[in-house]
Amino acid sequence: MKFRTFAIFVGPSVFMMLLFIAFPLISVFKQSFYVTQPVYDQVTVETCTPGFLKQICTSEVKSQPRLDANGAPVTQTRFVGLQSYRNVLEPDRAWAALSRWDLSTLLTIDFWKALRFTVMFTLVTLPLVLVTGLAIAVAVNNATKSLRGPLIFVSLLPFIITPVIGALSIRWLFIGDGIMTAFLEWALGHNISVFANAWAIEALMYFYRVWHVAPFAFVIFYAGLQTVNQDTLESAIIDGASRWQRLRYVVIPHLMPLIVFVSLIHLMDSYRVFDEIVGFASQAYVISLQWLTYDLLTPDDSGTRAISRASASAMLTMIGIVILLIPLLRKTWRDHKSQVH
Amino acid sequence: MLMKRLVLAGAISLLAGTAYADCAFENKMEIKSLTAGFAAWKAVTDAMAECGNVQAELDQEFRKKQPDAFAANPSLYDIGGVANSTILPLLAAGTIRPLDDYVAKYGQQLKPNQLIKVDGKTMAIAMDVNAQHLMYRSDILGDLGIAAPKTYDDVLAAAAKIKAAGVVDYPLGGTYKTGWNLAEEFVNMYLGNGGTFTDANNMPTINNDAGVKSLETMKALTAYMDPEYLVSDSTYVQQQFQQGKIAMANLWATRAAAMNDAAESQVVGKVTMAAAPMGSVRPASSLWWDGIVIAKNISDAKAEDAFRVAMEGIDKDMVQANNDVAVWLIDGYVPGPLAAGAAATAAAGAVPYPASAQMSIMHTALGNGVADYLTGAKDAKTTLADIEAAYTTAAKEAGLIK
Amino acid sequence: MSGPRALQQPLSLKIGSSAFLIFWCLVAAFPIFWIAVMSFKSPIDAFSSNPLNVIFGPQTRAAGRGLSALDIALGGAVVYAAARLSMGWLGRQVRALAPMGQIWLGWVIGAAAFALGFVIVFFGILPMVLNVLDPLAGPFGRDIIGLTTENYRAVWIDRGFSRNFVNSLIVTTGVVTVSLTVGTLAGYGLARSGSNLAFWLLIVALIFRALPHSVLVAGYLPVFINSAEILRPIMGDAAPTLYGKPFAVIAVLVAINQPFTIWMLRSFFQNIPRELDEAARVDGCSHFQAFRLVIMPVMWPGVITTGLFSFLLGYNDFLVTSLLLDASNQTMVPAIAGMFNRETTTTDQVQAVAAAVSITAPLFLLVMVFQRQIVSGLTAGAVKG
Repeated sequence: MKFRTFAIFVGPSVFMMLLFIAFPLISVFKQSFYVTQPVYDQVTVETCTPGFLKQICTSEVKSQPRLDANGAPVTQTRFVGLQSYRNVLEPDRAWAALSRWDLSTLLTIDFWKALRFTVMFTLVTLPLVLVTGLAIAVAVNNATKSLRGPLIFVSLLPFIITPVIGALSIRWLFIGDGIMTAFLEWALGHNISVFANAWAIEALMYFYRVWHVAPFAFVIFYAGLQTVNQDTLESAIIDGASRWQRLRYVVIPHLMPLIVFVSLIHLMDSYRVFDEIVGFASQAYVISLQWLTYDLLTPDDSGTRAISRASASAMLTMIGIVILLIPLLRKTWRDHKSQVH
Repeated sequence: MLMKRLVLAGAISLLAGTAYADCAFENKMEIKSLTAGFAAWKAVTDAMAECGNVQAELDQEFRKKQPDAFAANPSLYDIGGVANSTILPLLAAGTIRPLDDYVAKYGQQLKPNQLIKVDGKTMAIAMDVNAQHLMYRSDILGDLGIAAPKTYDDVLAAAAKIKAAGVVDYPLGGTYKTGWNLAEEFVNMYLGNGGTFTDANNMPTINNDAGVKSLETMKALTAYMDPEYLVSDSTYVQQQFQQGKIAMANLWATRAAAMNDAAESQVVGKVTMAAAPMGSVRPASSLWWDGIVIAKNISDAKAEDAFRVAMEGIDKDMVQANNDVAVWLIDGYVPGPLAAGAAATAAAGAVPYPASAQMSIMHTALGNGVADYLTGAKDAKTTLADIEAAYTTAAKEAGLIK
Repeated sequence: MSGPRALQQPLSLKIGSSAFLIFWCLVAAFPIFWIAVMSFKSPIDAFSSNPLNVIFGPQTRAAGRGLSALDIALGGAVVYAAARLSMGWLGRQVRALAPMGQIWLGWVIGAAAFALGFVIVFFGILPMVLNVLDPLAGPFGRDIIGLTTENYRAVWIDRGFSRNFVNSLIVTTGVVTVSLTVGTLAGYGLARSGSNLAFWLLIVALIFRALPHSVLVAGYLPVFINSAEILRPIMGDAAPTLYGKPFAVIAVLVAINQPFTIWMLRSFFQNIPRELDEAARVDGCSHFQAFRLVIMPVMWPGVITTGLFSFLLGYNDFLVTSLLLDASNQTMVPAIAGMFNRETTTTDQVQAVAAAVSITAPLFLLVMVFQRQIVSGLTAGAVKG
C-alpha cells in the first residue's frame, strides 16, 4: 500500500488520537517539570460573614493573589526539574524506611502505598480472571445447546452493567448490615464489619473486579472454543488422552493467543484501577496510582490543584505500564518482523 | 404537637409548591446559574425560575467547574452558588463583582447579616447557615436517666451507659468518611480546643497538644461507633438515625428535618437537637454559610437582571414555602425546634470555618492523613507531623510558602 | 453435541460442571437482581437490614401498594408470553420484514418496538385490568408482596430522567457511528500495510490504551470552557464553546476508544484473506473501491462486535461526561451519580436505585439481541491477533 493511501486511511483516527490523547500527554509531561503558581501578597483584609443572628467581622493578614491590570491573577512558571517527582516519590523517607527494612513505614507514603496495591491488584486478579473465565467458558460449552443462550446472557451481565452501578450494588450487599454481611454473620456466628478491615475491603475489591471482568474473558474464550479443531481432539481421544490432558495439550494451546489478548487488556485495565477505590470508598486503607493522580488533580475548596505533582504521578504510572507491557511489545515486534519477511 | 405543626407545614409547602407567588418582574434576558445540588439550592433555584428565562444548573461537580466557567469571557454563568470556602477561588481570580449598588437598589429586604463583605465591599449575599451539632434520641437518654450531654466527656459517658444498656446497635454515629468529612470532624474538634491551623507565614501549626487531644477524642468516640465509620458520610449517619441504630451523633443542621420525615424515619419526634458538645475552649463545631454571587465577565445590564432574579430566589415567599429545608438567614424564617441545635451552637460561641487558600490545602491534607491515626497505622504525633509535611509540600507547590 | 462415546461425560463431571454454572449464574445475577428488588420498595423497606423485609416490603404493603397472588400469576403469564414471543415470533417477523443484508437493523427496530409494546401492556394495560379483577378474587386478590412503581414514576416524570435518556442516546449513537467509521478505515489501512510506521502506530496506540483517563480528562476542562476565546482568532465569531456540547464529548470518547477499536478491527481485517481485495485491485479498483465493494460486505460481524464495545464505553462513561457536559446535556450515568452524591435523603437514594435499574434495561435488551453476533463476531476472528 502506498504511503499516501495509507495516510488517508489512518489519517482521521491518528488525528483524533493526536488531538485528544497525544497533545494532553505532552503537556502533562511538560507540566511535570514546571510549577505554575500565583504571586501572593500579604495584605490585611476585613471579612464579614454571617453568624446565626449577627454578623462576625474579622480583620486579619491574608495571602492574597496579585491581580494584573485586567483583573486576572498574575502567575509565574518556574522550571523545577525533578522536584515534583521527588515530592511524589519522597525518596528520602522511602529510602530511610527501606534501609531499616521497615516496610510498614514505607507503605504509609502515598505513592508506595498506591504502587503496592496497584501491582498486587493487577497480579492477583489476572490469574483469577483467566481461570474463572476459562472455567465458565468450558462449562457453558459443555451445557445443553438450548441452555447456552440464556447462560451466555446471564454470564455477560456483570460485564455490561455500568461499572459505577455494579460497584454500588456489590457495596450495598456488604456495607453495614447489608444482606451478604448479615448472611455471613449468621453463618459464622460473629459480628463482621467488612468496611472496617483493610484486608476485607481489598478482598472485596478483588472480588468485584473478577466479577466484572471474568465475563469478558469468558466470551472471548468461549468464541475460541468454537474453533477448536475437532479432528485434533478426536485423534487425541484415539491416542487415549484423558479429559484433562485434552484440555491441557489441545484446547489451551489453541486458546493461547486469546489468553495473551485477555491478559494484555486486563493488565492495562487493572493497572489503572480507579472505580473500585471510589465505589468502595476505600481511601483510608488502600489507594491506587490512578486514584492518587485523580486526588491530586481534584481542586480543593479554594480551587487549588497540585497539577505538577499530579503530572509527575501520571508519568510514573505510565512508566509502570510500559514496563508491564514490554514482554508483550517484544512479542508483537517479533510477530511483525516475521510477517514482513 | 410537633407532629401537627409538621403536617401543617407540609400541607402549606404543598400548597405553595403549586401556587407560588409569582415573580415580581418579568425577566427578559437569559440568566444561567451554577450551584451545588442540595435541597436549599433546589428551593432557591425553583423560586428563581418563576421569573422566566432562567436556566438553573445544580451540579455536584460545581466545585471543579465554577472557577473556570466564571473566568471565561463572557462568563458561562451569571449567578453562582458558593459557600465560605468555594467563594475563595472566585475572589482570588477576581471573577465576581461587588454588589453594593444592586443591594442599594433592589436589596432593601436583605438583613445586614446577609451581606458578605470583603474589604468593605459586598461580594456575596448569604442565604443560610449550617453547622454540625449534637442530635440525640431523647427517649433513650431519658429512659436511662442520662442528662443531655454538654461536653465530649459527657458524650463518652453517655455512650458507655447506652452501650451497657444495649438498646441500640451503636451508641454513636459520626461522619468520619475519609476525605472531606473526616477532615471537617478534626477541624471542629481542633477549633473547639482553641487551635489555629496556620501562622502568619502560612506555616502549619497543628502538631501540638490541642491537635493530639483532638485526635484522641476522635479515637475515643470511634470505639462506640459502627466499626465501618471510615466510610460513613452524612447520608449514612442520617440513615442510621432513621433506622434507630444509633442514639447520638454530631450531624449537620440541614439533616435535622429528615429525622421527622415519616416516609423514611422510624424515630419521628424522638430526636432532640442540641448544641455541639464543648471542646476545652468553645463548641466543637464551625459555622458555614451558603450564598449567591454574580459574575464579573457579563454586561452590567445582565448582571443587574441576574441580581434581581437572585433576589426573587431568596425572598420571603420561598422561605415560607421551605421553612425547614435549611436554617435560613432570610426575613420571614421561623426557627422551629429543628433549628434549635444550630442556634445553640452559634450562641455558645462557635466560630466560622476559617476559610482561606491555605486552609483548603490543610483540609485536604487532614482528610487524607487523619485516618492513619484512627486505624492505628501511626501514633498521634507522627500523624500530625506527616499531615504538616503533606501540607507544606502542597502549599509550596501552590506558592503560599516561599 | 453428539460426538463419539469418549466425548460423553461421566456423571460426576456433569454434576460438577452444572453446579459450577449454577453458582456462577447466581453470583453474576444476584447483585443486579437485588437492586432491582430494592427499587420497587418504599425507602424504609429498601434499606431494611432484614432481607425478608426487603423482599416482602411490609411498609410498602402497609402504604397500600402491593401485589396479590392473582397479580403475580397474571404478570408472570404476560412475562412468559413475551419471552416466548421474543424468541420465536419476533425473529420470524424481523427476518420477514427486514431489508436483505440489514437484518441487524431489523433487530434493533424490532426489539425497540417490542420493548415499547411490552412496557405499554405490562405497566399500562395490566394494572388497569387487575384493579378490576383483584376485588373479585377474594383471598387471591389480597396483597402479599409490597411493591411500588412510585420510585420509577418519580425518576422518569418528576426528575425528568427521560431527558438524560435522550442525551445518553445521542452521545452513544454518536460515539458508535464515528468510532466505527474512523476505526474501520484505520483498521483496514493498518491491516494491509506491513510498514514499520504501521507497527509503531499500533504500539503507540497500545500505550495510549493503557493511559489513566483521569490524567487526560482533567486537562480538557479549561480548554473546553475557554475554546471560544482560543478559537476566535481562527474561526472568528463562529467559534464555539465546546464545554457542554455533546459533539465535543463524542469526539473525546471516540479518541479515547480509538486504540482499542483499531486493534480489534485490524486483527479482524487480517483474517479476511488479502487475495480478496488484491483480486479486486487487479481488476482495476482503487484501494477505496476495493474496500467499499469487497471488504465492506464481509466485515459486519467484526464491526458489530467492535461496535458493541464502543457502545458500552459511550453508554457507561462517567469520567468524561460528568466533567464536560452541563446539566441540560447530561447523560444518565453522571445524573445517577449526582443523585447519590447530592446531600441525599433515603428517598433520593431509592429513586437513584430505580434510575440505576432503568439504565441497565437497554443494556439487557442489547445483549439479548446481539448475543449471537458477539460470539460469532469474536469467533470469526476479531481476537485472533
